[in-house]
Amino acid sequence: MFASKRLGKELQKLHEKLPPGITLIQADDLKEWLMDIQVVDSNPIYQNEVYRLKFMFSPDYPIQAPEVVFVADETHPIPWHPHVYSNGIICLDLLDRQGWSPVHNVESVCVSLQSMLTSNTKKERPPGDENFVKHNKQRPRDINFVFHDNQV
Amino acid sequence: MAPSPDYAAEQLKSQGNTHFKDGDYDAAEALYSQAIQKNSKNPLLFTNRANARLKLEKWEEVIDDCIRSIELMKENMKAFFYLAQAQLSINHPNEALSSALMAYELCTNSAQQTSNAATISALVLKCKKAKWDIRERDRIRRRADLLADLEGKLEHECKRDVDDIEARIESGDVGRSEGQEEKSERKQDFENKRNDLRTAFALSDPQNLERREVPDFLVDGITFEIMHDPVVTKNGRSYERATLIEHLKRSATDPLTREPLTIAELRPNIALKEACTEFMEVNNGWVYDW
Repeated sequence: MFASKRLGKELQKLHEKLPPGITLIQADDLKEWLMDIQVVDSNPIYQNEVYRLKFMFSPDYPIQAPEVVFVADETHPIPWHPHVYSNGIICLDLLDRQGWSPVHNVESVCVSLQSMLTSNTKKERPPGDENFVKHNKQRPRDINFVFHDNQV
Repeated sequence: MAPSPDYAAEQLKSQGNTHFKDGDYDAAEALYSQAIQKNSKNPLLFTNRANARLKLEKWEEVIDDCIRSIELMKENMKAFFYLAQAQLSINHPNEALSSALMAYELCTNSAQQTSNAATISALVLKCKKAKWDIRERDRIRRRADLLADLEGKLEHECKRDVDDIEARIESGDVGRSEGQEEKSERKQDFENKRNDLRTAFALSDPQNLERREVPDFLVDGITFEIMHDPVVTKNGRSYERATLIEHLKRSATDPLTREPLTIAELRPNIALKEACTEFMEVNNGWVYDW
């Protein structure tokens, strides 16, 4: 209902100013946006790499969370992280049905993901990654993630 | 034994509802009218017919139905809501606004502050904008009239002077080339004055100078729009009532702290509401499209 107006205003702000390491790549419509993120400090796992995020919004945004996944292409790998599956699906509480709050926005999600990577020390995939990637047909927001740990 | 009139009216009403759902508003209206003939004391029959007539764009009749329904039942959110829409359609934004505000008040006081709040809230905004549009149209017309008047006077004076010079040339008081020079100077003078006048008018128009920005403290953190009925949560943050309710229906938590929060715990933020209202009145117009 208010998604288009709110996204329009977010876009205006994104054009004005963005935190370091976050870039707006594409926002042609109010359904799907692409953002690039980089880890700005010297975490060796993420040196010299740029990751591409795809945001998908429903008409109920921001009451309903956006769907956010990493997408891979020749220049953008999927970052290593114990909460990021190799198909790009992210397990982060604030993107989850329960964890989402309408005061979050595209920028704050990018910042959270950036800091999630920054603080990570394990070059790992989540447990059961191979199996999950092979069999998962669900959309990210319909998956009930079990949060294995909250330290990461 | 013949069925009681109440029962007959109820039957006709539910038939009417079926037609309404199918989009056959003419048939629905006719059935509601028959129901009213059987029982003219039921306010719901009038609001249902008003809704059908709203779809048929029979504005005056919508207004009649709503007024009759309100006479039968004072706390009548639907009647005020339909009334406001009809009044807005026939270009009576003042009446429409007070009806819409009445509907909004009844809605927020009712036990189920359902999604109606958001719809009615949008209608209130529409009425305010319509009201402003009319004021703005008048203002522009008045300004344009004044400017045209003044420009006319300048032009008239210039023409008089030029005629005067012409006469002096004819009578030989001044030489022809000298006179021509004087004439073109006078014309130049007129054009400069007219341009200055136009600039002065443009500068004095507040619409040209305004910085079109709403301060963050008047903006709802969920929709990013200026608030019209802010409510405050336990941690002191304020949000637009209708949108916060949408969130609380899904998840009964404070959007910022995630602590439990229920609709019943919200309190109106009266001072902030007044600040928002004042801001809209002072800056009106562009705020509605912001």
